[in-house]
Amino acid sequence: MKLYRIVGWLLAIAMLFAIHPLDQSLQYDRLVLGLRQPTPWFQIVARASGGDTELAVTGVTGVIVGAALGGFREVAASMLWMKTHEYWHKGHGTQAKALWLMRLVTLLDPHWLEPWRITAWHLAYNLYVETDDPALQAKYLQMGVECLKEGISWNPDRYDLYLELGWTLFDKVKDYEEAPKWFRAAMRYPHPEYVDRLVGHAYERMPDIPRALDAYDYCMKRNPLDQTAVGATLTIRERYLPAWDLAEQGSYDEALDAINEYLLAQPTSSLGLHVKAHIAEQAGQLRLAYDTWSLAGNLSALDFLAQRKAVELAQRLGIPVEETPQHIYMQRTGKEMKAGSPDRDRLSR
Amino acid sequence: MRPIFRVARATFHEAWRRRFLNGILIFAILIIGSSWAFAYLQPGAELQMVIDIGLGSIRFFGMLIAVFLGTRLVPDEIELRTIHTILAKPVSRAQFLFGKYLGGVGTLAANMLLMGAAFYVVFAIKAPQFLAEKPEDAMIVAAMYSNIAKAILLTFFEVFLILGIAVVAATLFSWVLSVIFTFVFYFVGHMSDFFQQLSDPERGASKIAQIVMGALYRILPHFEIFDIREAILMGTYTPWSVMFKTIGEGVAYLVVVLLIGYLVFNEREV
Repeated sequence: MKLYRIVGWLLAIAMLFAIHPLDQSLQYDRLVLGLRQPTPWFQIVARASGGDTELAVTGVTGVIVGAALGGFREVAASMLWMKTHEYWHKGHGTQAKALWLMRLVTLLDPHWLEPWRITAWHLAYNLYVETDDPALQAKYLQMGVECLKEGISWNPDRYDLYLELGWTLFDKVKDYEEAPKWFRAAMRYPHPEYVDRLVGHAYERMPDIPRALDAYDYCMKRNPLDQTAVGATLTIRERYLPAWDLAEQGSYDEALDAINEYLLAQPTSSLGLHVKAHIAEQAGQLRLAYDTWSLAGNLSALDFLAQRKAVELAQRLGIPVEETPQHIYMQRTGKEMKAGSPDRDRLSR
Repeated sequence: MRPIFRVARATFHEAWRRRFLNGILIFAILIIGSSWAFAYLQPGAELQMVIDIGLGSIRFFGMLIAVFLGTRLVPDEIELRTIHTILAKPVSRAQFLFGKYLGGVGTLAANMLLMGAAFYVVFAIKAPQFLAEKPEDAMIVAAMYSNIAKAILLTFFEVFLILGIAVVAATLFSWVLSVIFTFVFYFVGHMSDFFQQLSDPERGASKIAQIVMGALYRILPHFEIFDIREAILMGTYTPWSVMFKTIGEGVAYLVVVLLIGYLVFNEREV
């Protein structure tokens, strides 16, 4: 073999290995800057291959491989998303395979917000009503919340999924302590005006009247023409604040009288009942608090907060009672509400 | 240098007469031009869809052109026996090979420029319309203009590397085999992460498999480094230091490929 060929080949091999340190440095930069592909294609394929055989795994895998290698990840995600729609319209929308497809879409294109939103909604709302088992329902709630948290980790600079998570906690879990944290996170980015008010709505339902008023005050400062915030402030001051202030001063009997006076006129008011139950808890009248939460829970099938609080108090009082998904959820996530007011700053008005 | 440019110029003019290349180019521009029509498949992320189809098409069709052009450059000269006329003149084999490659690069660059321009026009028309629906994305979209230009620039170097591999493959194998080889090389190059994972001792592969996978990871080009779509979609800044490193790695790999091509072609019977 001629000398130049030997030298040439050795040079080529040496250069191939010399590129490696540059590649390592580049790979590190790409990792730090978030330039790497969200999910390596082979992980997506592995996930796709493990799915339901009815879905023609080969076809789906083909789409994914083609997309991952050819660079059309969003196109593949859209195609799979259309497939989930097809399932939906065939009436298979609440089946696990639809969920599996949705999950693939989020792996393929984690920056597309719609699949995160719909998947979480599918879990926390649709699959939730498919079963009567509270433990399973709690699991679906948890999966919905986790799904949105994962979506947020991929899209931290947009308000959408913070709002969606806050709303799921507000509307379905009725965790009024946690929901405003996510609404506030959404407020750090350009967002619609109603997000500001949702913080106040959550505290109002909790109930935490000072924080609700503070949130509405913020809305009115941002937009003095915000009639919803103005109306909510007037309502709170008129209906609940007198009783709340008395309870804050320790005059619990007077506070209960004040709220009972309002409840005489509006006996089915959820918020009124929440305030009454809260004051009763603070006063140490746990039986009255339990009865009031139970009443609120029975009056509205969707008042999951009242139902959960009733279960909590029933367990403390030794009253046999059926579990609720929201209570199981709070226990699992270690957020079971403590009796009395949550640890908040005392706000002056 | 002059013989190289003469060969390159002749290759460039000849390449434009190849109908299949023109067909691919026209098809690519049609797809890019109609990308906005597909955008509505992704409600809430229409602009991202336009970018995905636009940049994906430039990359995909650029790759196709590189493979089909690169694998025909040298074999055509051998089949038509024109190579004897050229090499009879004061043109060395190295100059001939490099000139052919440069001519291919010129053709590819012109094709990519046309596709890139078509995509930029579509993006510039559509971005303000989608922005009107989502004004909160103004900053992300503003960052997209420069990031898209950077992404197209990196795609240039990616397809130049594929072209180099195709030219070298054509000096080694028959036309069909060299096309298959280049496609496989491209796909395997996209799987380099996979080899890295398999070479990890924690994966439990045998020692020999670990060594083979590790060597493959080091030897194969990492085509995914040319992909910065994540930065485009997130509206984040792609530093020039990363751009230079990526281009540097691409060029270094290309030098190796062309060196191997020269070593093989220099000894080949024509």
